Amino acid sequence: MVVIVATVYGFYLNREVTRQFEGRRWTLPAQIYAAPLELYAGLTLPLGDLEHELERLQYRKVDKLDRPGTFRQQGSRVDIALRPARFSDESRGASVLSVSANATGIEALRDSGGKDVPIVRLEPLLIGSIFPTHGEDRIVVTPQDVPPLLPAALKAVEDRNFDSHHGVDPAAIARAIWVNLRAGQIEQGGSTLTQQLVKSYFLDSRQTLGRKLHEAAMALALEAHFTKADLMNAYINEIFLGQDGDRAIHGFGLASRFYFGKPLSELDLSEVALMVAVVRGPSYYDPRRHADRARRRRDLVLKLMAERGVVRPADAEAAARKPLGVTTRGGGTYYPAYLDFVRRTLHRDYRTEDLTREGLKIYTSLEPRAQDQAERALEQELERLDHAKKYPGTKLEGAVVVTSPQSGDVIAIVGSRNVGYDGFNRALDARRPFGSLVKPFIYLTALESGRYNAATIVQDEPVSIKLANGRLWQPENFTRQTYGPVPVVRALAESLNLATVGVGMDIGLPKISATLQRFGLPRAPAEVPSMLLGAIDVTPMEAAQMYNGLADGGFRTPLRAVRSVISEDGKTIRAFPLQVAPLATPENIYQLDRMLEQVMVRGTGRAAHTMLPANLVVAGKSGTSSELRDNWFAGFSGSHLAVVWVGYDNNLPTGFTGSSGALPVWARLMSGLGTTSWNVTMPDSLAETWIDFSTGGLVEAGCAEDAVPIAVPAGTEIPIRAGCRQSGVESIVKRAGEWLRDIMH
Amino acid sequence: MPACAARLALTVLAACCALLAGCQSLREEPPSFPQSGSSTPRPGQPPQPVSPQAGQAGQATPGSPEAAQPPAQPPRPAKQYRLGAASSALVAQAHKQLVGGDFGLAAATIERAMRIEPDNPLLWIELGRVRYTAGDVSQADSMGRKALALATGDPQAQALAWRLRADSLRSLRRNEEAADADRRAEGLSPR
Repeated sequence: MVVIVATVYGFYLNREVTRQFEGRRWTLPAQIYAAPLELYAGLTLPLGDLEHELERLQYRKVDKLDRPGTFRQQGSRVDIALRPARFSDESRGASVLSVSANATGIEALRDSGGKDVPIVRLEPLLIGSIFPTHGEDRIVVTPQDVPPLLPAALKAVEDRNFDSHHGVDPAAIARAIWVNLRAGQIEQGGSTLTQQLVKSYFLDSRQTLGRKLHEAAMALALEAHFTKADLMNAYINEIFLGQDGDRAIHGFGLASRFYFGKPLSELDLSEVALMVAVVRGPSYYDPRRHADRARRRRDLVLKLMAERGVVRPADAEAAARKPLGVTTRGGGTYYPAYLDFVRRTLHRDYRTEDLTREGLKIYTSLEPRAQDQAERALEQELERLDHAKKYPGTKLEGAVVVTSPQSGDVIAIVGSRNVGYDGFNRALDARRPFGSLVKPFIYLTALESGRYNAATIVQDEPVSIKLANGRLWQPENFTRQTYGPVPVVRALAESLNLATVGVGMDIGLPKISATLQRFGLPRAPAEVPSMLLGAIDVTPMEAAQMYNGLADGGFRTPLRAVRSVISEDGKTIRAFPLQVAPLATPENIYQLDRMLEQVMVRGTGRAAHTMLPANLVVAGKSGTSSELRDNWFAGFSGSHLAVVWVGYDNNLPTGFTGSSGALPVWARLMSGLGTTSWNVTMPDSLAETWIDFSTGGLVEAGCAEDAVPIAVPAGTEIPIRAGCRQSGVESIVKRAGEWLRDIMH
Repeated sequence: MPACAARLALTVLAACCALLAGCQSLREEPPSFPQSGSSTPRPGQPPQPVSPQAGQAGQATPGSPEAAQPPAQPPRPAKQYRLGAASSALVAQAHKQLVGGDFGLAAATIERAMRIEPDNPLLWIELGRVRYTAGDVSQADSMGRKALALATGDPQAQALAWRLRADSLRSLRRNEEAADADRRAEGLSPR
């Protein structure tokens, strides 16, 4: 009878173990990568910044290049031992690259043979993964990725007889009991690596004798079926090594990233020892929370490794003198708002199971440099604004979206001032009144009507409109003053409400609503007059899509965070190619953009110049909702568009405007992006001319202090401002004479 | 004389305001509008020429002594766009990928070049050609339009963009527009 039961149990174990082990595919969360940094001659990237980028990828600075993942600097040259890398379109082996640079950027790239190379990518930064809720996250490694020290250390510390036992090691159990009793603490476990693997694979962690026996029997069965190498590889990929919120860190591949920010293959002795120390109790020996404990355990591991001949005692002692070397959490590589946008993009096409199990690689447009800059700008400026604010104890919040307008790449998203925390993503979900950010679309519609240009005189005068409900709507200017006849360029630059309402009512609300939707407003706005002052709720991401059309010469380029999705075996299974569609004529957009440039020179955006590089040409628009509840700024250069929102979550008035609240964030951000000037060639059918900013009269360039350049359709006739219109060289003399005469008069 | 004094005072005031505006730090609310005293009517100046039909373009009647057209633009020297070394290498790589039939890969490679030179119309034409070859003629036409918007001043690039548009429009069976695009290309740079 006993024999029969044992035989049946044996069969059951065998079947169970083989089925589970062989059929087991690790659930492989999708891995998400930032855009790779492209290096090429002419790139504006000073040496210091290049080093910073290499360090972000955990390249180590060394005196002599010894292995991939290191670099050295010699004068104005940096030699980089590139790691093997997989990109969305190709793979590359390890190689050495020499970068010559000067103070501003890269001059030349050469390979190890001294040959010029036109362009090289650094490997993309891993920025996250998509793991199931309360689920396992892991990066699977192959035996070639594993430094030989790791299995050696695991054996020395956890399972001395791993190579010879049959799954259970009675001597080890006896020894563990003896050692632990003598030491008065748990220094050794008696479970073999195989038993630990079984426990992690098949069973729960209840410690009953029955379970222990069942576990031991399964370990024996596993050993009977699989090689030691297979079991070690499985162990290295399976074992639990830490908890990060909902995310369980499994396997040494991910643990190495999680604790040290670099691939497992690059861990040195002290780091391997720390990993092995953590195996014993990922929570108890958490090197971030219990550094002292973790360090004592690491040093014990090093001692055991030396005692058992895995390393030389001198090396172990040297490693024990090193700090733990773990990265700080959330330290610049965790971008929850961006990852949130990526997940939402993917969920349109994929089921959660596919994303969490299939080992997909997701390549995104995130530019870590821009992301860091956006985070810093928001944090620093909100900190400053909080000091000057009205409500002690209530913190201002904010959101930032940064794009490359021509490609539609979303390169940075900040959803909160607490940049490292996953929470309410204001960049995507805070729907707030657009305020004066609506005005460029009104004036664009006006330009499109053919009845307006930048010099057209409009009346900034009291407005009184009878609404459908019989009430009168009587908006005011921000300053509560009226300005009378002003040219369109001034009405937009100074964000005059009354002049804009006049233009909007003349053009008609349906046309303006159509323009807004054409540029990407996803809902039809209520066609009421207050729409003209931005009583339309939009999210910062929607605002970015709409302004991207203005920054991109009048083309609609759908904003995208994901460039491609690659399967585990390297096939492109989904691409998000660049798409463009014309939204407005280049002529009308050019005229509008030149006016938005004046916002930054003379209007509500001019304070940005104190922070921006001199001569950088930018264009933009401020927005403030009623009672100063929402502060917006949206603006662009030749290479970047950024939208900033600042306000309180509970919708209290902020006491700031778009110019004083959001603009400083925008300006600080733009100043650090290394951005290029807005510099579009004027379409042939337009002419540039100068008018008096206050009156709109035609003047000569530089004639009056208030002369501003505008673009108008060629042949447009503009009234001359008296006393300020001459032609030729003599005019300067004449003008000087007039000025003197005026003064003396 | 009082008018003169007032004007002098205003000039000084305006200069001060301009200076203040220049020193304006981001930490303060921008000065309330109007700035630089610019919108207040200046005493002693003739009334501003305001169009009788305010809110209308081309306010002044042609020939009016008070109106003028902006000066004719001096003829622009012809530009010629070229690809930088990095973009050239990528475009060459894309051409190989295209020969291999991998349109997606070729497009992605040209997009890499576009991230380096987003304003270079030649790259938009290249990408348009890839889309055209892949059968996405509507995107090809849009890329041609985008290239045209960027190619102002470069007749060669404009001609290439018009030819891309002509081919795309023909595939879209918009034959009249295609013929027009061909004529424009021919006018800019005869084959």
